Amino acid sequence: MLSYTLKRLGLAVLIVSLAMLLLFSMIYLIPGDPAAVALGPRATDAMREALRVKMGLDQPVWVQFWNFFSGAWTGDLGREVLSDRPVSQVVMEQLPYTLVLIAGGISWSVALGIPLGCWAAVQRGSWADRIVGLLSVAVIAVPSFVIAIYALLVFAVTLQWLPAIGAGEAGNIGDQLLHLILPSLAVGLGWVGYIARMVRASMLEVLEAQHIRTARAFGLPERMITYRYALTIAILPTVTLLGVGIGQMLSSAVFAEIVFNRPGVGRLVYDAILTRNYPLVTGAVLVTTVLFVLLNLVADLIVGALDPRVRSRF
Amino acid sequence: MSVAVSDTPEWKLAVGRLMREPLGVLGVLLVLLMVGGAVFADWLSIYDPTRISPRDRFLAPSSEHFLGTDQLGRDLFARVLHGGRIALSVALASTAISLAIGIVLGLLAGYGPRWLDNLLLLLFDSIKSFPTVMLALALVTLFGPSLTAVVIVVVLVNVPGYARIIRTQTLALKESEFVQAAQSMGASTARVLRVHIMPNVIGPLVILASMDIPVVIAIEAGMSFLGLGVRPPTPSWGAILNDGFTAIRDTPWIAIAGGLPIILTTLGFTFLGETLRDVFDPRLKGR
Amino acid sequence: MTVLSIQDLNVKFSTEKGDFHALKDVSFDVPEKTIVGIVGESGCGKSTLINSVLGLLADNGRVDSGSIEFEGQELTGLNPTEMRALRGPRISCVFQDPMGALNPVLSVGEQMRNIQYRDTIGKAEKDARSVEMLRSVKIPDPEHALDRYPHEFSGGMKQRIAIAMALMMRPSLLIADEPTTALDATLEVVTLDLLKDLQKQIGCSILFISHHLGVIAELCDQVAVMFAGEVVERGSAAQVFTSPRHDYTRRLLECDPANQKERTRRLPTMSDEPGSFVPVPVPPRQVPPAGATPLIEVEDAQVHFHSGPFYKTRTTVGVGGVSFELFEGETLGLVGESGSGKSTLARTMARLSHITEGKVTFEGSSVHDLGRGDMQRLRRDVSVMFQDPFGSLSPRMKVRDLVAEPFRIHGVTDVDLIVETDRLLTLAGLGPEFATRFPHQLSGGQARRVGVARAIALKPKLIIADEPTAGLDVSVQGGVLNLLNELRDELRLAMVFITHNLHVVRHVADRIAVMKQGQFVEIGETETIFARPQHDYTKTLLAANLAGPGAHA
Repeated sequence: MLSYTLKRLGLAVLIVSLAMLLLFSMIYLIPGDPAAVALGPRATDAMREALRVKMGLDQPVWVQFWNFFSGAWTGDLGREVLSDRPVSQVVMEQLPYTLVLIAGGISWSVALGIPLGCWAAVQRGSWADRIVGLLSVAVIAVPSFVIAIYALLVFAVTLQWLPAIGAGEAGNIGDQLLHLILPSLAVGLGWVGYIARMVRASMLEVLEAQHIRTARAFGLPERMITYRYALTIAILPTVTLLGVGIGQMLSSAVFAEIVFNRPGVGRLVYDAILTRNYPLVTGAVLVTTVLFVLLNLVADLIVGALDPRVRSRF
Repeated sequence: MSVAVSDTPEWKLAVGRLMREPLGVLGVLLVLLMVGGAVFADWLSIYDPTRISPRDRFLAPSSEHFLGTDQLGRDLFARVLHGGRIALSVALASTAISLAIGIVLGLLAGYGPRWLDNLLLLLFDSIKSFPTVMLALALVTLFGPSLTAVVIVVVLVNVPGYARIIRTQTLALKESEFVQAAQSMGASTARVLRVHIMPNVIGPLVILASMDIPVVIAIEAGMSFLGLGVRPPTPSWGAILNDGFTAIRDTPWIAIAGGLPIILTTLGFTFLGETLRDVFDPRLKGR
Repeated sequence: MTVLSIQDLNVKFSTEKGDFHALKDVSFDVPEKTIVGIVGESGCGKSTLINSVLGLLADNGRVDSGSIEFEGQELTGLNPTEMRALRGPRISCVFQDPMGALNPVLSVGEQMRNIQYRDTIGKAEKDARSVEMLRSVKIPDPEHALDRYPHEFSGGMKQRIAIAMALMMRPSLLIADEPTTALDATLEVVTLDLLKDLQKQIGCSILFISHHLGVIAELCDQVAVMFAGEVVERGSAAQVFTSPRHDYTRRLLECDPANQKERTRRLPTMSDEPGSFVPVPVPPRQVPPAGATPLIEVEDAQVHFHSGPFYKTRTTVGVGGVSFELFEGETLGLVGESGSGKSTLARTMARLSHITEGKVTFEGSSVHDLGRGDMQRLRRDVSVMFQDPFGSLSPRMKVRDLVAEPFRIHGVTDVDLIVETDRLLTLAGLGPEFATRFPHQLSGGQARRVGVARAIALKPKLIIADEPTAGLDVSVQGGVLNLLNELRDELRLAMVFITHNLHVVRHVADRIAVMKQGQFVEIGETETIFARPQHDYTKTLLAANLAGPGAHA
């Protein structure tokens, strides 16, 4: 298990480093002088030169990369252009909102998806199974931002059941939760479908397995076979899938934050691009990437902990 | 020593099975509807989708303007039809490019030397480690908003997945006895890949790729919604949705007009793709 | 008293193409404390029979008529709950595949505890019973085995744990579905002995299903022979195997190569009239003149594999120093159990695998040092047949293209491919009408014949055949062996024949090499190996390759 963890960790570090390289080269390749772009057309040459020195743009490429790289690993992502605050600080302020949103999305998808998929698998071929299948496919197909806007239109604008704008009053948990319902549903609904399908498919596969036939031949009760013998195995691919799902939910979060006018990292990047605040863009993209890689790592480690076969392979 | 061999070709049986599935028929109809609307857009609507007409701003749906008009007085029905052209052509082009690149890289990773496999896997993992939106945002920073940026994002999003599927299957087939048999007969690497591996890995991938078309449509619409895709005044479903979102409290029909075609198209392609997969490859059913 | 009594049982499956009648008027009894064997080849309805008794028929299957009576209780009308109450405590089961029979994510202890879920005793007591059960199937250190997971045990161990679980509740009937088929011959003997002991100890009956006549003869008191969904013959084991009444049983017994007392160049097949078979004596091995050049020479060949998570520090020895020579027209039988290195050696000889140490010389040049052009020459001259008759055929190519593949690969254009492939298919006993089929439209024996046709297409000098009859039914096996024998003599081919079954290789090989852990423990002329085995391992193998039931007569 230790060797497995180390190997996964090493891979994560490698991927983050590569992501840094890609991000750096991207910023380096942007047409035009970042300092000039940031300051706008009315800046003087002297102002531009000062900013260039400050951003380290006067140094050779490899020094710039090293500064970026070593800074990033120690949490120094530079300073943003507009307010001159440290990028890491700005991003960290917004991060909790996004994390809460994604946690909400995951809660919906796990709480609804796993029971639905399991239920459909147990009575495969029935009408309930077909309806669950149809609904899963439908919510997977429709993009999350369309769901977000239609949800906003129906529940907030027309019916006025739920609040539409912002993250809720600071310190008022109830209000914040109320504000979380629609955005997190928009983020997580597609994943309810994904997980239901995934759990159904792997349940069906596991239920066909020889060892389930053996368990039946020993007369074990159907409940024990379903939940203890089959679901414990069928759940494994779902955990891995959730790791990937978090990346897609991060994407959906950007839309949800814009549509419901919530604070968060997605909104931050979007606004930063519109204002050409490049250090903020790279910083925020890097933080989300690291977050994504970390969560994937956690998902892999959970699979490792759950599956004795994986545990012993390393 | 004889085996009953059916004479009906496989594809005819498959079409027959497809037509017996209500969901498949619904999918076919929806896809035909959207494709037909895009192809015959000029005949179906008399309005120019980009012509601004200040007198006709914010008109509710009527017999004259089936879906109403937007904040610049443009006919939404015409914009939706022409937006379909953008969505479908981006979907087809980028899927084809992704498939071509994915197959080549997947075969290289699966059949090539170990170091190349590891390198490509690391590359795929790194690309996959950027959430799609972040990738899109970063790329648009680089290239500016355009259809090319959309296509590049789609290719970057799809290729790692496709290549991985091809790689996994190639790795499995590489160890299979029929490939070993071909090697033992002296078949060159090119021949092994072309004659023995490719025919066995492409079919499932093409079906999977066709099921990804809704994702591609979502990416195009999503990027255009954020203003990162097509530039105004070119009609795009995402852009219409954004116009509608801005004015959602007073003129909800604009948002509805933008969202509806996205929902219908993605559902249509998904239903069709699901049924196709079950029909052609029953082993994958329910995955 | 009769434990299980089946009367006129008919089972049907509804399929797309209409009803499939899987069991037709099947009747037989399993008396108390006896072992009843059911013999039959693939597709004869054995599995359907078990599933009907266990109440585990697939959704599209149904008992059409007839009765299954267990300890006086009729099973056919029982609902799932009533059926479940019987499974475990009264009727239990061991299946073929030991790898898949245990749940991979639950510990052995938990699985054994769960089987005792009906009992109201505490966890410690249940565990104590599990330990006792594991001890009786001879699992070493049974206390600690409870905390371990199935993948930590070898295949033979897993099968024993499965047997322990099946007997946990002391059932009166144990159904054993090919429980030793996936095991090596030596393990098979041990497991059968264990089953026999436990049966006596517990006093249950066993319904033992197998395609292997030798195993059934070794173990069972009574036998039922199944063919195409019917029981064609039943009686005591002695009667069925010594004086079979039904034609099918007689043919089946005759076809088993283990039942041939003499070595024979031609083996009987299912199409031979029973009793009419005359063995064709094997000519004595022609000892090559001194100083003759061997066709292929292996000198101290070693193949090592490196694995391990980080720096590939683990080394496994596939082949650990093996030498022999093979002359034109000669056949060497390479015998060993799984993991003995026989396939690795074969692959190295054809340069499909690397060689770590030593040398393979084919017609005077070192195989592993050949340049590109000479390599192609070697690929023409050395033909390899792989184990799986279907797996070695590209699934999306028609038979014609499969057989034509060697010509296309080597750019042979001076022949008419259609004429040539038809000729080869006829030679392989198939005929041109098979040319347009796909592999999945062939039977196992037919697929193997396509493989043979392809292997001889370019007139090779050496054929390396890896378990060419594994996975084939006895009735088909003889025909394939005859084909190989004929072609070998006709084309003066040299052959390396790899197998785990000594009885098969006896009729084919001039010499036999016995392999264990990457080494030859013994190599010599076939007659000598069978008459006077030198090495203990060879003796064990000879004893373990259960002789056919005819040998018991």
